[in-house]
Amino acid sequence: MRRIRRLGAAIVLAAAVTCAGTGCTVIPVSGPYTMSEPGAGDPLTKPFQRMIATSPQPSWGPEQTIRGLQAAMAAYADDPTVLPQYLTAEALKAWTPSGAVTVLDEPLQFDPPEPGGAEPVQRITLSAKQVARIEEDDTYVPQSGNWERPFHLVKVEGVGYRVSQLPDGLILTRSDVDRAYRPTKLYYLNGSTQDRVVVDNVRLRLKPAETYAKVILERLLKQPSGALQGAASTAFPAGTKIESVRFGEDEHVVVNLSGPLDLLDLSGEDALMAQIRYSLNNNDVAKGRGISVLVDGEPYTSYQPDADDQRWLDNSGNTAFYVSKGAVHHMTKEGPGGAVAGPAGEQRQGYSDFAISKLATHVAARTSTGISMAPLTTQGGQWQEVIRGDDLTPPSWHRDGSLWTFDQKNRVVLRYDPAGKRGPIVVSAPELDRLRLDVTRLRIARDGVRVAVITGKNTVQVGALTTMGGLKLANFRPLTTTEEGNEILDVAWRDDEHLLVLAQSKAGQILNEINVGDGEVAEIPLKDRLKVLAALNEQVLAEAFGEKGKGPKILQLNEDLSWTSKIDSDVESPLFPLG
Amino acid sequence: MPPTKKKRSRRRTLRQILGGVRRRVRRAAGGARRVWRRSLQLQVVTSTLVISVIVVVVLGAFLSTQINKSVIESRAQSSLSEAYADRLQIADALTPPTDDQAKVADGGTLSGNPLDDVMDTVTGSSEDGSKKRYDVLILNEASPGMSRASGTVVPTNVPHSLSARLRDNVEKLEYGKTIQAIERITFNGQTQPRLTYVVGGIVHQQGNGENFEVYHFFPLDEEEELLSNVRLAIVVVGLGLVLLLAAIAYLVARQVVTPVRLARQAAERLASGKLDERLKVRGEDDLARLANSFNEMAANLALKIHQLEELSQVQRQFVSDVSHELRTPLTTVRMAADLLYDAREDFDPMAARSAELMQAQLERFESMLADLLEISRYDAGAATLDLDPVDVRQVVLRAIEDSEALAERHGTRFDLRLPAEPCMAEIDNRRVERILRNLLFNAIEHGEGREIVVTVGADRDAVAVAVRDHGIGLKPGEDTMVFDRFWRADPSRARTIGGTGLGLAISREDATLHGGWLQAWGQPGEGSQFRLTLPRMAGAGLKGSPLSLVPPEIEMRRTWRGAMTPVLLPASGDLHEED
Repeated sequence: MRRIRRLGAAIVLAAAVTCAGTGCTVIPVSGPYTMSEPGAGDPLTKPFQRMIATSPQPSWGPEQTIRGLQAAMAAYADDPTVLPQYLTAEALKAWTPSGAVTVLDEPLQFDPPEPGGAEPVQRITLSAKQVARIEEDDTYVPQSGNWERPFHLVKVEGVGYRVSQLPDGLILTRSDVDRAYRPTKLYYLNGSTQDRVVVDNVRLRLKPAETYAKVILERLLKQPSGALQGAASTAFPAGTKIESVRFGEDEHVVVNLSGPLDLLDLSGEDALMAQIRYSLNNNDVAKGRGISVLVDGEPYTSYQPDADDQRWLDNSGNTAFYVSKGAVHHMTKEGPGGAVAGPAGEQRQGYSDFAISKLATHVAARTSTGISMAPLTTQGGQWQEVIRGDDLTPPSWHRDGSLWTFDQKNRVVLRYDPAGKRGPIVVSAPELDRLRLDVTRLRIARDGVRVAVITGKNTVQVGALTTMGGLKLANFRPLTTTEEGNEILDVAWRDDEHLLVLAQSKAGQILNEINVGDGEVAEIPLKDRLKVLAALNEQVLAEAFGEKGKGPKILQLNEDLSWTSKIDSDVESPLFPLG
Repeated sequence: MPPTKKKRSRRRTLRQILGGVRRRVRRAAGGARRVWRRSLQLQVVTSTLVISVIVVVVLGAFLSTQINKSVIESRAQSSLSEAYADRLQIADALTPPTDDQAKVADGGTLSGNPLDDVMDTVTGSSEDGSKKRYDVLILNEASPGMSRASGTVVPTNVPHSLSARLRDNVEKLEYGKTIQAIERITFNGQTQPRLTYVVGGIVHQQGNGENFEVYHFFPLDEEEELLSNVRLAIVVVGLGLVLLLAAIAYLVARQVVTPVRLARQAAERLASGKLDERLKVRGEDDLARLANSFNEMAANLALKIHQLEELSQVQRQFVSDVSHELRTPLTTVRMAADLLYDAREDFDPMAARSAELMQAQLERFESMLADLLEISRYDAGAATLDLDPVDVRQVVLRAIEDSEALAERHGTRFDLRLPAEPCMAEIDNRRVERILRNLLFNAIEHGEGREIVVTVGADRDAVAVAVRDHGIGLKPGEDTMVFDRFWRADPSRARTIGGTGLGLAISREDATLHGGWLQAWGQPGEGSQFRLTLPRMAGAGLKGSPLSLVPPEIEMRRTWRGAMTPVLLPASGDLHEED
């Protein structure tokens, strides 16, 4: 017993000495410990600054008043109380902020009123270069050209100038847009196959009291912008509301919904989660975080960041193909590969403009009499002419397995579905019909929704395959136009947003990468003359004219925008599945 | 009227309940007070608790204040530094660029408005910026479009007093002064006000004389939470400390009080006659020494008591022996005296008177000797009872009959107050009659010829006889001394009826032998009353007496006086003396 007591006393003494020792240290040296990574700040929002509108001052002249009015327009969404102070009662009554937002480049030029004018109404003209228009559906439409608008101001004794007439809508500067708007990618579901998400580029206005994540998700509840109207849909049932988006425990983002979502019906959970996940992560929000979706506080679905699920952005593999002497070959990392299995792998004359289907199961090519297709298998396949016509555009595969082309003679879009066991059917394209446009190329994007067409020789338009009221090609908008006399040689979808456009001008060839969402153009420098394009995300291949005696070659675009030769001679038509 | 009765009954019940509760509370309070007074341990623990609570509260308040001060000061200092650095950046950005700087800006990526650029930097809104933990508001109401804010801050969030003082500084051209305030501010989109440290400063542009009010809003949520946690910790630790101190005090007090309590119990046992009681001595501390001293004292006391007992025994034996030895010569003397007395007629008057005197004194001597023998029997523990069921009224009557002759000589009259029912009790008839005879003789002797009241009372358990005289009474303290052997109220007074001075002492022993009481009451001038109380069943313990010790008329008079002048009355003893 005595020994135990002594041992106990020694332990107590040691503990007391340790406590006293550590008590003397302000921050004791300790560690190393294994810790879980804390989240770096709030992942749901991004800092931004806002314009603070100020009331018109009596000392301000007409120019300052218009500048103040413009600042009040920039702040209108956050504080709608200041702008009305710049307007007379009549102007305020007639004015409404709805309509497209005009985006002007700075500096703003003012045509000053006549000096010494004694009239009670002063007229001042604001002029600037217009850079864009933000539609009511949040589409950012690049614009060019000069913009000018006269303003009439009334001098009110003691309070300064007031604007007596103001056209509807808001006028913002580029700085205002950079400050308050964010280019945002929204992801909707492919309207026809519902197996892939489609990106919709919009400009969303930030709200001071809401996180960027909530702004994104609230917009996601609405229909996509005009370019995808009827072509893409949302997995959120009508009436769904975003109750909250918060950063929860375990670095999880918790989205709480309310509305008609049925907790027991999980048929749409994958699609809904895909929409939420890509719309947040691809806008640098909640990246690398898990996402939990609740409905009225009850768990509905969740996503773990380590789950490598890319099926909603499936591009059907990244195997490249090329054609050599009429035979389709695989392309390897080193360059040339073996011929594909089946009839397409045999050398044959008279076949051109090849296209590879989804999962590389079929190949299609144009002949002098129409479009033929063949399976990429060894078992008994052969070339089969599926669309007849002597003036068809090169074929393009849709991810649903159908083959598309434009009959230039009859000016109709043709679709052949191998699974349908019927002949090609005509797909309505009202806008192309109405303008009687001459379509020389039709390429369906890998998302199965967007369609790029070359109309005439020098215009590229982008439309969408809409499903409302039957399948049709609609929503066409001009993407780029070259000058008269120039020619657009080829287009290729690099990814869901970017289209490569190869144009021939008198000065030489130009290869541009154009964002179909906001029209942003990035030029890719060229060294050789190109003929045909093929692209899939980072991989860009092109058929270039070869040196004399060697025939065409295939080039590859590097990350530093330089070109290197992939296969040197007697090869043509680089290919990727779809696109 | 049954309902009324019910109500009354209910009311009574409620009153009774309340009364009961009050009684219980009073009893509990009395009990607690008693426990408090009696328990040294409780007093020590309570005192420790009170003192430690005071110390902990004072120290806790001091600590809390110090921690609050240092946390807030350090936060304020760092916030001021950040705000100052931001203001410097803003001032630098708003200063019109020199030609060289303008060239750099043209080639750089800065936007058109320097205010936007610097706000991007200050608020972390730029591409590579990270969110700051504070918000900034720049106000310039004199210039349109030159006000900015980050987060949810709006100009109305600035405390009025702060902006007013800042504008005073502007008027006094004191641009370098910084104003700060800690306020609870409700920002847009928030329901609860947040504790915020607001720093206001002026950025003055030398070129155009414009002033920018720059406000920084530093949230103090984290500091508030930290301090709240610290305060909670202080409270919890303080509470724990108080309880720990109380526990320590309890243990320490117990260590001290337990031996003291044991010593008290030992002293009590010693006092009750257990002279062998000793304390255990452990160790050599003060308490051990106390135990040693106690044991020594007990041993000495036991020795002394033993010696005294032996001495007393010797004395009692001596008295007994003397009494026995005196009887034989006394018998002889008595016989001779009887002869002389019988022949006194033949003597001359002087000799005859001497014979009578001798006869009388011999009778007194005999009774004294008889009393001495009787009392020595009690001292020797040889007295026994001869119990019979007897009607006490008959015993009283017989005693009165024996006393009548003496009463007549003194001119005293008896007032008998006997109950109608028999008062049966198991008593030794001879001894009780002797008691009563003694009481009556005593009353006659001291009654000064006034009436003597003899009262008999009975209840279920006991019978009592009270003998009341109206003589000179007893002085305070004499009511117990009257039962002492050979005691005289006034030693100068001669015994008129030849009492031996042992009568009341023997009577007391007789009563005690019955398990009864013999008590006396008396007041100077009020006479005295002796009450004999005996149990009905021999050996049964007495719980009370059927008769009051104080005569009823005296009791009534006391009550009446007490009710009339409860405060002004002097002490009762003095009053009786005055009477």
